[in-house]
Parts: sequence; structure tokens; C-alpha cells
Amino acid sequence: MSSTSTTLRNSTGEEIPRRRRRPRPVQRVLSVLAVLAALAFLFPLLWTLYTSISSPDDVYTLPPRIRPPGEWGHYVEAAAQNYARAWAAAPWPRYFANTVFIAVCVVALTLLTGLLAAFAFARMRFRGRGVLFLLVMSVMMVPQTVLLVPNFLLAQKMGLYDTYAIQILPWGASVFGIFLLRQFFQTLPAEIFEAAELDGAGPVRMLAQVAGPLAVPTMILVGLNAFMGSWNSFVWPYFMTKSDQLRPIEVGLQTFQSENGNDWTGMSAAVVFTTIPVILLFLFLQKYFVRGAFSTDGAVRG
Amino acid sequence: MSTSESSLPQTLPRTGAGRPGNPAPRTGPARRRSRARRALTSPIAYLFVAPAIAIFGIWTIFPTLYTFRVSTFDWNQLNPAMSEFIGLGNYRDMLSGSTNPSFWQTFGVSCYFVIANVVVGTILALLLALLVRRGSKLMAAARTSFFLAYIAPGVATALIWLWIFNPRFGLANGVLSLLHLPVIDWLGDSRYAMLSIIVYSVWHEVGFLVLVFVGGLMTTSGELSEAAKVDGANPWQEFSRVTLPQLIPYVAFVVIISSISSLQAFTQFFVLTGGGPGYSTSTIGFQLYQQAFVLGNTGYGAALAVVLFLITLVLSIIQLRISARLSR
Repeated sequence: MSSTSTTLRNSTGEEIPRRRRRPRPVQRVLSVLAVLAALAFLFPLLWTLYTSISSPDDVYTLPPRIRPPGEWGHYVEAAAQNYARAWAAAPWPRYFANTVFIAVCVVALTLLTGLLAAFAFARMRFRGRGVLFLLVMSVMMVPQTVLLVPNFLLAQKMGLYDTYAIQILPWGASVFGIFLLRQFFQTLPAEIFEAAELDGAGPVRMLAQVAGPLAVPTMILVGLNAFMGSWNSFVWPYFMTKSDQLRPIEVGLQTFQSENGNDWTGMSAAVVFTTIPVILLFLFLQKYFVRGAFSTDGAVRG
Repeated sequence: MSTSESSLPQTLPRTGAGRPGNPAPRTGPARRRSRARRALTSPIAYLFVAPAIAIFGIWTIFPTLYTFRVSTFDWNQLNPAMSEFIGLGNYRDMLSGSTNPSFWQTFGVSCYFVIANVVVGTILALLLALLVRRGSKLMAAARTSFFLAYIAPGVATALIWLWIFNPRFGLANGVLSLLHLPVIDWLGDSRYAMLSIIVYSVWHEVGFLVLVFVGGLMTTSGELSEAAKVDGANPWQEFSRVTLPQLIPYVAFVVIISSISSLQAFTQFFVLTGGGPGYSTSTIGFQLYQQAFVLGNTGYGAALAVVLFLITLVLSIIQLRISARLSR
């Protein structure tokens, strides 16, 4: 504390009063608390990872056994068994393929419908624009829970029950996406569209060649949100489909658990390999999520 | 809700600088005078909005209206043509409590879950946000780990907690036995089942709320806090009299959005308790599926959906008003 490096001086060399800075010990305590809180939140995830590499004998006991470094070969063996057993117990490649296919279609549709609608709402003038935009925004107020019963009945009527289409089409437009893209298009200067018009561009070319390319960062945010929402969805595909060949990963995981209820080490392995892709995606593209987190639509689909 | 709403007009304008989300565009008169007028007044605009409107119309707007219709029938799932119109019969059964479980029981369970989840979630999120608000790498990593729990899928995380709450070998009982306390059947005992679900739900959702509060804290005035400290305010006084009042709009926002999402919660009930034991964790959101898809009471399920819709509508309108204030 007596070292000069902890006293701060302003430009004229006067010492800045200590109380204006948070004293160091307090910062230390805050850092320790933050680390503890972070570990508390990560702990269930880490515990699952640990269970997935443990033999049943080690974790079906209280307190669970932790092996000394000399016996770590045991973990490798147990992990190989758990992951192989879980992987063999369900058509995971199919679930993964379905999930990726559905998510990619949802993202493509969401971006297409979003770009078109947002551009029209932001830059074009047409009768009823205000009313239609209000209509779109009002869609946000209807929760998925309310939509499930009627859509289930309608899907059956239309012959869409138990298809890919019922898992894709209803999610092919996002209020959040339209809202964000519209906000972005509104910030563009009018001059670039005037210039495009002088070149003889119509609205389609203005969107495709001028506004669209500029909107790529916003599109990434909207697309990621749609992707995560689709990847994490459970309730909708669970009730809208019945065949394993069409079902996505989260429904598959639930089915796996209900069929292998007491295989906790195998279940933990399945949780790990089904969740790792989402977590990696999140960690790599974190900055986009943080901006997207303020939406109440999208990622929180349940 | 009504109190927080009525207090908004005085408290909100002062914090107008802060808003969650992107910067709001300034649509000034300059924009309206744009000369790119001809191309952009083309009727092609209708074709542009048509796909989105069609999707919303087919999959959201029409089904919402259809829910109202189904709720007036004794719906026959096997042969919808045989459904019998009973007017407000489903609602009469609901209000008189003659369904099994009674509507009022599920309503009570819902209130318990929503209120506990929202109150605990909001307070914890605020505390964590105050803890990790600073920009250091360590704090950013802490924020990431909270958010990781939120971003991980509902089924996977619920299964993780199903294992933690396992009565024989679960970690929760491991901790209790280390402390020489009697073990608990977390999910199988009606006294603890809802509590366990709330623990899971708060863990799963709080990371998102922390982010909203961290965003809110960035907009609070550092100068005011410094001035309060210089005047000799202790940290609690500084928080309660200077920081918190500036955060009120964010608190309101968090309370509303987490109320809405708690009302809809389904996955954790489905995976962890299946609405039991007894009906101790059967919320309206859970019963809706149970009635419509498992018990075949589609009409009654639709009536529950209507009730949920109306509650959500009120909350959404309040939320929109708050968001509009925030984005000023």
C-alpha cells in the first residue's frame, strides 16, 4: 500500500484523493466473489462433464468418488464406454442432420422475409404502412404456448403434421428480425438510394446491391438468433411431429432420456455431445449474442 | 404491476439516455424530403411485406383467433366435425373450478412459480450485475459463464438438474449428506418440487437478466455516484438513492419480460416433474398441454390458452410502453 504505484496523480502532479477510486481490497473481494459466482453457474455444466467421463460406480454413490491422478486412465476408459453407449442408443446423426437442416432453412427464410419487409417498412412509401407495421409488431405479443393448440389442429387439417414444413414455415419470419433490420435501414443516408435511382435501380436492386450488403452485421445477429432458437426448440417439434426421422436434437435427447432413464453417465454423455455445438457457437460468436440478447423473441423459444 | 406502471411517467424520462438494443434511428424531416421518391413509392412494397405478413397471418394471427373459437367447443379430437358448441362452457368449468385439477389450483401454482421466479431472478440478476459490471477481462468472463447457462438448451439443462436432484445419488443430496442433514426427495416431494424447479429456472434464466442490468448500469451516471461518495454516502446509500432510481425502468423491463417467459414455461415442468407430484407443479402453461394433448380436452386447453394470451397481452402492452420510454 505504501508503494508509490498505488497513489494516483493528476496532470499537475497532485495526488488524487483516494476515495475517488475504489480501494484495492474491495476490488479483490469483488473479483473473488465474481469468480465464485461464475463457478457456481458453471458447476452444473462441469458436473455433467465429470459424470460423463466417470464410471457408474464412481458417481452412483454419495459423496461421488474423485480419483487421484494415478488412476486417470479410469476416466478415459469410462468416457469411451459412456459416449459409445449413448451414441449407439439413438439415431443421433439423423437428429443432428434434421436439426441443422431445419435451422438453416429457418435462418434463410427469416433473413429473406426480414430483409424484404424491413426494407419496405424502412425506406418505401405505401398506403397502410403504419397499420401493417403495427400488425407485425403485435405478433410479438402472442406467445408460442397459445399458438400450439390451434396450430396443431390446423397442421393436421392441412396435412402438415409430422413434416419438416411444420417445423420450418411457422418460424420463417421474425418480428425481432424485421424490427432490427428496419432500424438499420432507417439509419442509412438517403443519398445512396438517390444515387442508385439515378443508375436506374428499382427497389429490388437497391435492396440486393446497396442496402443488403451493408446490413450483413445485422443479418448475422438476426440469423444467429434464429439459428439458436431453432436449435434449442423442443416444445414445438415435440408436439408437431411423431417420427424419429424428422425430429431434431432436443426432442431426441428427451426421447433418449425417457428410454434410458437410469443411465445417468450415458445421459450426461448425450447432454455433452448434443450441447457442445451450441456452446461452441456461442463462444465463437459471443459479441453478436450480447447485442441480440435484448430481444424477447428468438433465442428464448423453449 | 399497476403501481410500477403508474410510477413510470415521473421516473423514466430522466434516464432516457439508456436503452436496451440498437440505437434508435432519427427519422427527421430531412429523410422525408428524400428525392429517391419514385422508385421507393412503387407498389412492389406490398410484394416485399407480403411473405412476412403471410407467415404471421397463417401461423400466428389466424391461429390466435382460431384458439378463441376452439375454446367455445367441446372439441372432438378424433373427428372435429363432431365437436359440440358449448359457448362459454369451458370458461364456466374453469371459473367454477370443476375441472381436474381445478383452474384455481393451477392458477395458484402459476402465481407461486411466476412470482418466486421473477422476484428471486430479478434480485439475483441485479446483485450479479452490480458485481460484474466493470469492464475487466475477469468480469467479462463471469458474465459469459452466467450467459452460458442461459444459452444452453432447455432440455439438456433440465436433464442436468434432473441428475443433480436425483434422490439417491444426486449432487443436491450429496451436499446435504456432507452437512449431515437429512436428504430430500427434491422432485418427488410436493413440498420441495416447485422450489427445485424455481432453483433450476433461476439458474437457467438469470444470465440474460444480468446482461440487461449490466446494460442499464452502463447508462447510469457515474458523476452522480462519485458526487454521492464525495458527500460521504456509504455504498448502500449510494446504491439505493443514486443508482437504483436510475435503474427503475430496467427493473420494470426485467420484471415484465421474465413474468411473460415464466408464464409460458413448459420444458422444465415436463422434464423435471411432469406437473407432479399430485398437481403441485401443474401451472396453467403446463396444464394447457396436458389438457389439450394428453387428456384430449382440446376445448378446455384452448380456453386456458386464451387466459394465458390475455394475461400476456396485458404484460406485453406494459412492456411496450416501458421499451418505448427506454428507447427515447
